[in-house]
Amino acid sequence: MHEKTVTITAKHGIHTRPAALLVKKAKSFDCDIIVECDGKQASAKSLFKLQTLGLNHGVTVKVIAKGEQAKQAIEEVSELLITLS
Amino acid sequence: MSVTGVVVSSGIAFGQALHLNLHQQKIDYRLIPQSDIADEKKALEKAFNQQKLYLNQCLKQLEQESEHFELIEADLMILEDEDLVEEIADTISKLQISAAVAIERIFSHQASELAQLEDPYLANRAQDVLSLASRLIARLNGAQHLDLSQLKEDTIIFAHDLTPAEFAMLPRRHITGLVLETGGMTSHTAILARSAGIPALLSCQYDTAEIANGTEIVLDGMQGQVFIAPLTEVRNQLSELKRLDEQRKQQLLTLKDLPVQTLDGHQISLLANVGSLNEISHLADVGADGIGLFRTEFMLMNTQTLPDEKTQYHFYCDSLHLMAGKVFTIRTLDVGADKEIPCLPTIIEDNPALGLRGIRYSLANPELFKTQVKAILRAANHGPIRLMFPMINQIEELDVLFDYIEECKISLLDEEKGFGELSYGIVVETPAAVLNLESMLTRLDFISIGTNDLTQYTMAADRTNPALTGQYPSLSPAVLTLVNATITLAKKYNVSVSLCGELASDPKVAPLLVGMGIDELSVNPCALLEVKSALRNIQYQTCLAIAKHGLKLTRIEELNLYIYGQDK
Repeated sequence: MHEKTVTITAKHGIHTRPAALLVKKAKSFDCDIIVECDGKQASAKSLFKLQTLGLNHGVTVKVIAKGEQAKQAIEEVSELLITLS
Repeated sequence: MSVTGVVVSSGIAFGQALHLNLHQQKIDYRLIPQSDIADEKKALEKAFNQQKLYLNQCLKQLEQESEHFELIEADLMILEDEDLVEEIADTISKLQISAAVAIERIFSHQASELAQLEDPYLANRAQDVLSLASRLIARLNGAQHLDLSQLKEDTIIFAHDLTPAEFAMLPRRHITGLVLETGGMTSHTAILARSAGIPALLSCQYDTAEIANGTEIVLDGMQGQVFIAPLTEVRNQLSELKRLDEQRKQQLLTLKDLPVQTLDGHQISLLANVGSLNEISHLADVGADGIGLFRTEFMLMNTQTLPDEKTQYHFYCDSLHLMAGKVFTIRTLDVGADKEIPCLPTIIEDNPALGLRGIRYSLANPELFKTQVKAILRAANHGPIRLMFPMINQIEELDVLFDYIEECKISLLDEEKGFGELSYGIVVETPAAVLNLESMLTRLDFISIGTNDLTQYTMAADRTNPALTGQYPSLSPAVLTLVNATITLAKKYNVSVSLCGELASDPKVAPLLVGMGIDELSVNPCALLEVKSALRNIQYQTCLAIAKHGLKLTRIEELNLYIYGQDK
């Protein structure tokens, strides 16, 4: 299992469009990817669930991945999370 | 078979039934047998696929920049969420419930989680999630035709409710009638239907199951009846009535260029209520003396971005040009209450009708107001404009507004942009405005009585509540007393007085109002010639007598019987 903690920098948080990009990225990996925020968890591959985390500007999230490609997945997903605007 | 409803836009319409169940779907909550589970899962997948296909088609028709685009994309992403489909499918088998119940359960849960988030954008998504659920459930229930652009046959729309924006999206060419379950006499969709000349019934309690899509319907918007798969005799009878109705309309057209005056020569100015350039361009067809109410908020209803000063300026100039020097009365933005404007933030209030609406909204958003006023001042350089403010209660509000207008003029001078002087008025539509009128009249050039809201606020009866339509008709002794007091005061101060509520559009009521001393009536364009005909066929002396007697009546029923006779 791999994990990494990042802070959301997107001005308006990770909403519809940025969240959709995140889901797309997550789906490109063949492993489970979980985003944890304020005690709540959601699959990074589910926009439906991700929305309920309230990924606002300035919030700290933990990205957790297990399975094949987990390490690379963590890197790329975290990178995307901090570069999304 | 037939059902009844309240006529809000008269006329007779023929067409096929089409249900637009955007908001409410019946759900069967019973548990399902084990053997149906596989079918429900298949139905679930099919509903998701159909909705995806539909949304993808919508995207093709929309421009990338539109705000809708992003929301549709978000819905699509949700539909493509495999975890979600899996969760719904699991719920179906675990709880032995239908796909519709499972969708409702999971989406409602999601919506309530979203609604709790602090972020207002995501909190708004809760509503989107619920509407997506209702559309999926509609798919499961076999509802089709959500795409109306393909309509070819004459169609009568059946819906639980229809917002003004939704109405505006309907392809007018093939929509011949409208039947709604909800709505009071003066709700905004009713007003829109009337000005579009589409017969409409509201508060109609029909059974959706008994009216399949495509069923032949005759809507009798004279008597307030909807005939479902009517007998040949009924159909023939109504088509004869429709012919007579159209003949009557032809007759009325001959009055178009004649003056509006009573048999003994008392003249009245007959103006029109409008909401768009399109409506203004058709005013010549009915020979209106001008515009008594231009609802400027309608220009915002189908746009995603707020028009800037320049856009508005061109819009008012175009309108002025079409009016060619006739009376042109603009009401500043009247948003809030039941009027939803997509490009302005939605305000959640417990009592919208008693909330931030009309001039209160402008006072809370001065920049919005000033942009509009600057555009209007500039347009006034090209022709006379009367400007009026909605929902004014007291003189302090006028103080602030006139200060804003001065600021606008100064800034136009700075910018070296030309502008003209305006005449100023208020819409008298609250009891407070009537009670405080005397203090305000010295600062005004005209006033216009808005009887729709005046009735709602005087009677404390929500005009969109269907349960109240019967008890609180637009004509009542209380409202008449206030209207009379307003006219008397205005006369005392030599301020011209107009009436722009739905009452003015009623040919039976117009003589009463003229008898009470009204100078101008501002009516729906499609009612204008009927009102003109009524006034041209009566003596002014008779109007005076009707007013004198009418004002003495103390019961709603008595008054309505006196004005309408037996037919209402």
